Amino acid sequence: MTFTISPPPHIKQDTTFKKITWIKILALLPVSVVSIYFFGLYALALILAGIGMAIVTELVIEKAFNKDITIMDGQAVLIGLMLALMLPAEAPIWIPIVGSFFAVAIGKHAFGGIGSYIFNPVLVAWVFLILAYSSYMYPVSFPELGGISDIFLENGAGLLIGVSPVALIGGLYLILKRYIEWKIPAFYVLTTLVLAFLVGDEIGHVVTGAFVFGVFFLATDSPSSPVTKNGRIIYGILCGVLTVIYGHFANYIFAVFYSIFLANCVTAFIDTSTLPGSFAEESFLQRKYRKIMEKIPIERLGVKTDD
Amino acid sequence: MAEINVMETIPEKMIIPLKQHNGDICEPLVSKGEVVKVGQKIGECPSEKCAAIHSSVCGEVVSVEESSHPSGNRINSVVIQPIEETECEDFTPFKDSGKEQLISAIKEAGIVENYGTPTHLVLNPPDCDIDTVLINATASEWVGHNYETPLEYASQMLDSLRLLMKAAGASRGAIVLRNDDKDSIDAFDGLDYEGKTIMVAPLLGKRRVGYYFNDQNTDIIVASQDKIYGKNIFEYFTYNVTGRKVPFRCTPANAGVAICGVKSAKAIHDLVNTGMPYIETVVNVSGQVNNPQHLLVKIGTTFRDVIEACGGYSGEPAKLISNGVITGVAQYEEEVPVTKMTTSIIVQGKDEVLKDISKDCIHCARCVDVCPVDLIPNRIAALSNQGRFDECRQMHIENCIECGRCSSVCPSKIHVMQLIQYSKEAIARADEDFSEKESSNIKLGCSCGSE
Repeated sequence: MTFTISPPPHIKQDTTFKKITWIKILALLPVSVVSIYFFGLYALALILAGIGMAIVTELVIEKAFNKDITIMDGQAVLIGLMLALMLPAEAPIWIPIVGSFFAVAIGKHAFGGIGSYIFNPVLVAWVFLILAYSSYMYPVSFPELGGISDIFLENGAGLLIGVSPVALIGGLYLILKRYIEWKIPAFYVLTTLVLAFLVGDEIGHVVTGAFVFGVFFLATDSPSSPVTKNGRIIYGILCGVLTVIYGHFANYIFAVFYSIFLANCVTAFIDTSTLPGSFAEESFLQRKYRKIMEKIPIERLGVKTDD
Repeated sequence: MAEINVMETIPEKMIIPLKQHNGDICEPLVSKGEVVKVGQKIGECPSEKCAAIHSSVCGEVVSVEESSHPSGNRINSVVIQPIEETECEDFTPFKDSGKEQLISAIKEAGIVENYGTPTHLVLNPPDCDIDTVLINATASEWVGHNYETPLEYASQMLDSLRLLMKAAGASRGAIVLRNDDKDSIDAFDGLDYEGKTIMVAPLLGKRRVGYYFNDQNTDIIVASQDKIYGKNIFEYFTYNVTGRKVPFRCTPANAGVAICGVKSAKAIHDLVNTGMPYIETVVNVSGQVNNPQHLLVKIGTTFRDVIEACGGYSGEPAKLISNGVITGVAQYEEEVPVTKMTTSIIVQGKDEVLKDISKDCIHCARCVDVCPVDLIPNRIAALSNQGRFDECRQMHIENCIECGRCSSVCPSKIHVMQLIQYSKEAIARADEDFSEKESSNIKLGCSCGSE
């Protein structure tokens, strides 16, 4: 009888990168459907153009450089879909095509492919588009959120993503299932809401579709966010602070995209400066605490302690 | 309480490896054609770092040859053909109670921890004094078979702890249970032992065993903590339970702590009360077998016979693993014997065998979240892959307890644990021929009792 020989561990979780990506795409489907309902079939054309160009670019680049074809892991589809959703509804059809090409070719592959890029490719393409073709990228209207109904269906939305913040509820499902982790979204939302309240901005202006999209899908993009536990908290807070700074003086929709893009710049720095110590080592605060506690004569006070 | 069955059938062939511990290979005392008895010593220690080997059956020695070993190597083994009647050596209960006699009796009986170190070296390490003995019951490998009630099990474990403390010359001892192991906690909680009531003390944050020794004003306590598993858990375990940090390249003995397993504690209890050497052990058989169970088998029984005693394979087996699915070793063949270090046998079917191809790391930080000792496994793996071992040292790679959780959760299926092991091995080898007198600033080795 022959047995398979392999190194341990002999059981693994069945979560793969492919599965995570496709579930993220599924989580974005509701908002896509609502935007198609809202803006008509032209929105579908924008989305399809974005996805199509992303796939074609990925295929051509991987063929040209003799790499493994990774269309099936879904990342190109995700990039194309996310970019298309960040465009205004009346953008010309070549905008998502140029954007998707830029995202995959420059944002992803020029930086070294999955796991190596330092900026989220979607944001790279978005920043490129808004700098190069700014007249096409400004939507005709910015949402004026007021009532509860605007959370479900936003009439003034200019971007595809702005149509319905609630349709992005899939992000919560991703967190519950641990396909994305919770620290960055939690601290991002908390910081933004607290700071926006302090500077006196209306919460209705802050919680837009773009903000929810940024929290769940852009900020949690794993290669461009820190890996250390404390680093993720700092990153979330940084995103929140930048969002309020930009949002307070301009609008909160572009502020979300810019702030995450800028936070990506310092990801590596956050990572290297928050490396955890050895398990038995004391942190700075613990050391200070111990110094103080050593000076208190606890035994004489009659309190029993650890040896 | 899991029930332990006794393997009744006598196998056709027993393979008893002459090395069932970390250390030197024993020298065979028997040759082809000789008849051996149960409990007869068949392997003599050539050095200190060694534990004696005994025959577990009665029979004729067929050969002394290199045979397969569950660690994956081929080791010199005594192959015995058992016969029906059982003839035992005269086992005499241990009488003298001196520390030295107890240690030499443990060495003669060949008692070995399930992680491989001979127990006499754990309890009586050279140039070190032990002041605390811990029985690690968190791994939950099961012990013996002849307990009427859980209470009997509990008091027997406490007796074993007393013996271990006597052998080590330690003043304090603790049994560490698992938080979720409700049976054992119930067995110990409220037990009257030596006129005192045992309370199971949870280890939380800064409340480690030292606190409870003072609080309960006793020298024996029972504590409980989260489950820890892995290959090199002892430094982490020592820190978790006693709060003492074990220096780099040192063992818990250097911090004055001896860690024993449940199985060796039971074996010492048997040795003192009946005089029986370590010749049988409990293995947990699970996976694709018809009748998964805990089985008391004689050391040297082949995996094939153990699985047959459990009703044979259900379906076609594809992978045979000894010692757990996370850190265990996949076996080449069924003809490998159960040794003193074997705790479980797992059979996997064809659809359970992993065939993943590693992709690029996507920095999802899942490995960081599951790591029990606060490492950054993905970065260490990347550095190991590039051979940057110095930087691995700076990332505290020596803390890794090799639990394999990082490899298990990785969505890119990177072999994180293998890369870390590779790097640790390279770091250990780099210092092998390092001269101690080269510089007066560098001091290698450990000093005892440093806290």
